[in-house]
Amino acid sequence: MDKEISTQKPVAKGAPEKVTNRDIFRAWIRFYFADEIPHSFDRYIAPALMWALMPILRKLYKDEDQLKAAYKRHLLFFNTQISWGGGVLTGIMASLEQTRAQETYENKELTITDDLIYNTKAGLMGALAGIGDSIDSGTVQYIFIAIALPWAQQGSAIGAIFPFVAFSVYQVLIGWYFARTGFKLGRKAATDIVGGSQMQGIIEGLSILGLFMMGILAANYVKVTSSLQWTLSGKKFELQEILNTVLPGLLPLVVVGGVYFYFVKRGLKVTRALIGLTVILGVLAAIGIL
Amino acid sequence: MTVQTWQAFVIALWVALVESRVLFGGATTTLRFTPMMTGMVAGLVLGNLSKAMMIVAAIQLIYMGVFSPGGQMPSEPAIAAAVAVPVALLGGLKPAAAVAVAVPVGLLGAYLYQFRLFLNTFVVHLTDKYAEKLNDRGLTLSIIWIPVLVGFALFLPFMFVTLKFGVPVISAFVKSNSGTLIFHILTVIGGGLASIGIALTVYVIGKKNYIPFFLLAYFMTVMFTKLNITMVTYAIIGSILAFIYVLGKNEAAKLAAKNNNSSDDEF
Repeated sequence: MDKEISTQKPVAKGAPEKVTNRDIFRAWIRFYFADEIPHSFDRYIAPALMWALMPILRKLYKDEDQLKAAYKRHLLFFNTQISWGGGVLTGIMASLEQTRAQETYENKELTITDDLIYNTKAGLMGALAGIGDSIDSGTVQYIFIAIALPWAQQGSAIGAIFPFVAFSVYQVLIGWYFARTGFKLGRKAATDIVGGSQMQGIIEGLSILGLFMMGILAANYVKVTSSLQWTLSGKKFELQEILNTVLPGLLPLVVVGGVYFYFVKRGLKVTRALIGLTVILGVLAAIGIL
Repeated sequence: MTVQTWQAFVIALWVALVESRVLFGGATTTLRFTPMMTGMVAGLVLGNLSKAMMIVAAIQLIYMGVFSPGGQMPSEPAIAAAVAVPVALLGGLKPAAAVAVAVPVGLLGAYLYQFRLFLNTFVVHLTDKYAEKLNDRGLTLSIIWIPVLVGFALFLPFMFVTLKFGVPVISAFVKSNSGTLIFHILTVIGGGLASIGIALTVYVIGKKNYIPFFLLAYFMTVMFTKLNITMVTYAIIGSILAFIYVLGKNEAAKLAAKNNNSSDDEF
């Protein structure tokens, strides 16, 4: 029924085919494409992972009931970040399914049980998403944007195109690397990727660079100045001028710091911070302080 | 002050492509989180690219640090830009004032996106059925194409109507009020809201001990404003600082390890 099998030992039909690096690449690209298209409230992005693994599962399970079970296994609740979570787990799942398919075919006792597969997925998806979100979306993406912002401010389209292309290419590439590592090392991959001292160094370096760039952006783009002025015994005073002689850039820093401490104390309540700050700034502007 | 039908349609189509997540799939992650590309498209369609870029750069600042932990986002920057950039172009708004238009629209857009997830919940049952039948074509249909269709049905009409009929009204209102106190208030709010995104990013990076690097960069920039140092130069300086720090830390760790049990080098 399949030509590729003929190169292997003369086994009965139904033996799992070998999963190649090309299959892994294909699965990763399929995951990258599907990602949040089928996003829903009850399964989140499980269908995307299932759709990504479909060709591999077809190669592994020649028995209809086994294949059906495999499809269903990957339709259970799943949610993660695209490149770190999605990449690593696409690889690990392919690796686990490959072992399981072989065990099933040889009628051995299953070491890769349903529970093991799901627990591996569920155990890693959150942790990897946390790292992936803060490194990719939270840091790398904004480093690209920070670099491109001045171009946008000068009216150039490169300001939009550069971060978009650079970030997308970056995610496809590291996701592919993670998927390969995940497939090669199986369940061990996650600790290897996240726990390695080299990766720790990279994460720290990126954090520092990210914070540094945010400092630059805050100084350049947060515009808070006081328009308050008063006359005292015939002499005109302007609050902003006085502030500038003490510490230029004080007001924007106070605002950024205030919002930051709000997040530290109250957690990530972005909408509330947005509305709250709008009201505060609006009132201060209306009464002539800002 | 009108938006042509084709202009409203093309911008609405772009938003539908982004929000249904089908445009290069995962690449929409960054198209959704940042308003930049959407602002660029709006600028191209409305025939004023460079002004649109300046406006969307200001909008980008409040959305620094926006991403979706767990897939939920408080705001949809792409939708915000798709409305605020045309309003600012037609109404002749300053970039900072455009921000004040973007904020409420972005919040509204987030509800629309949530509604997409809600509708997809029904589609999943179809996926279960096709999986049971091992129908791969059916699975591609229910996992990819139906959700894409749902996204289009949701975002295309909404954005089209907003752009065609809402934007002219908002920009006319804004224009007639320019120069008044409201305008001053909008500009102040727009200028200050940039702090949200930046504070958010600092919080998300989550290394409290490294905040001195933020402060160093902040005061460096304030001091050196007149020197016109480019962002790329700053990025290089930041990279060097980060490298030196990590290098020093690793060396210290190695030294400590050596002192402990004089073992071999790590590498």
